[in-house]
Amino acid sequence: MALLVIGSFVLLTVTYGRGSDGVQRGVSTIFSPVQSVADRALKPARDLVNWFDETFDARGENSRLKTQLDAAREQGVGAQAALAENAQLLKLVGLDRGGAIPSGYDTVTARVTGRNPSVWYADVTIDAGSSDGIAVEDPVVGAASGEGAALVGTISAVTRGSASVELIADHGSRVGAKVVPGGAQGVLKPEVGDPGDLILDFLNSTKLIGRGSSVVTSGWRGPGIDSRYPPNLRIGEVVKAPIREQEASQLVHVKPYADLRSVDIVQVLTGGSRG
Amino acid sequence: MILTPGILARLVAVVVVGVLLQLSFFSQVAVFHVSPNLLPALIVALGLLGGTMTGAVTGFSVGILLDCLLIAPLGGASLVLLGVGYLAGLFRERFEIHSWLVVPLLCAILTLLAEVGFGAVAAILGIDTTVSALVVRDVLLKSLYAFLLGWPIYAGLKRLLRPAIVDDLEARRSRRPTVLGA
Repeated sequence: MALLVIGSFVLLTVTYGRGSDGVQRGVSTIFSPVQSVADRALKPARDLVNWFDETFDARGENSRLKTQLDAAREQGVGAQAALAENAQLLKLVGLDRGGAIPSGYDTVTARVTGRNPSVWYADVTIDAGSSDGIAVEDPVVGAASGEGAALVGTISAVTRGSASVELIADHGSRVGAKVVPGGAQGVLKPEVGDPGDLILDFLNSTKLIGRGSSVVTSGWRGPGIDSRYPPNLRIGEVVKAPIREQEASQLVHVKPYADLRSVDIVQVLTGGSRG
Repeated sequence: MILTPGILARLVAVVVVGVLLQLSFFSQVAVFHVSPNLLPALIVALGLLGGTMTGAVTGFSVGILLDCLLIAPLGGASLVLLGVGYLAGLFRERFEIHSWLVVPLLCAILTLLAEVGFGAVAAILGIDTTVSALVVRDVLLKSLYAFLLGWPIYAGLKRLLRPAIVDDLEARRSRRPTVLGA
């Protein structure tokens, strides 16, 4: 027993922060095909269970949406004006509203084959690795709730046939982000245990940010240090922007466009230049 | 537990299938937005059937395999899960399982403890952000799922490992005595 405890501590000390080592690469090479087959074989069963969960959820959401519809009708006129302004600004900065992949990047499509079972971590494994051209710190996008793609995370470790994706909801994730329109910049960090609520902190703007604004990667570049994400990748939408919180600590709450709990297919952006 | 090569092979198969099933199925389904965690319940069942050594070793093995497949730092999950297996084995060596409720309850309690353990390991490695209150709900729901999964897992493993279980009273009672000279 003592030997196992000591062994665990030694392994943790030796392997922490080193990405993947020889043992993991070996085990991963053996199990990746098996995991991939199991993942495909169990998909119908997974879909069935998730269908029940989503149906139950949709029933509860129906009445809430009716209430929201009334409020939305009132805000409609203001929203139209904001949309027109938004489109104009997006055109000015050359953003692709469809959330397309930035130029200069190649994409590798991969399927999620595993997910950390603990509530404290938000990382997934995918069935593509270094043999497909994937490298550590490559950005990863997934299907957004409306249309196009949105940022889901970054590659944290890679083996030949698989890779680990640290989702933007993982406690270790930090993303340089900006609000459009407005351009206020900050760092997007998660709230552990709630992948539907991210916090945009350290906003460098004195302008108040309203609900419904889009949040994209800032892709900043500084002397000797670059952001690991390309600029203007869609991340999410500001859902809660209490004036008190903004004035006191300059933070707003962001709901990611991609459903981080059930991300199934992802695209890894390889190559390209960061920042 | 009497360990023969055959039983050892079955234990290895249980560990591998358990981890693959967790990663490919249970971690990717959501019931009330929370994914069940089968692994602590699996280790509790093995600890209850085999004792402290079996519980601790299988817990350690499950943790190592989990970390390898998730390409995570090795040792974190094994540290937590070997503790879970050891505690379940200790319970088996100190107390009798008198009620069918004992197994699911132990699965629920030790799943909760495992999640607290995972949180402690994450905190040691550094959590530099706020923690949502939803974590409490998620951990409680995971414990509830472990309660529900506990008995089927225990019953299935008991059947699979029956030849190796030392004090399988139920099996002995159901066996017809051999009448000499009949």
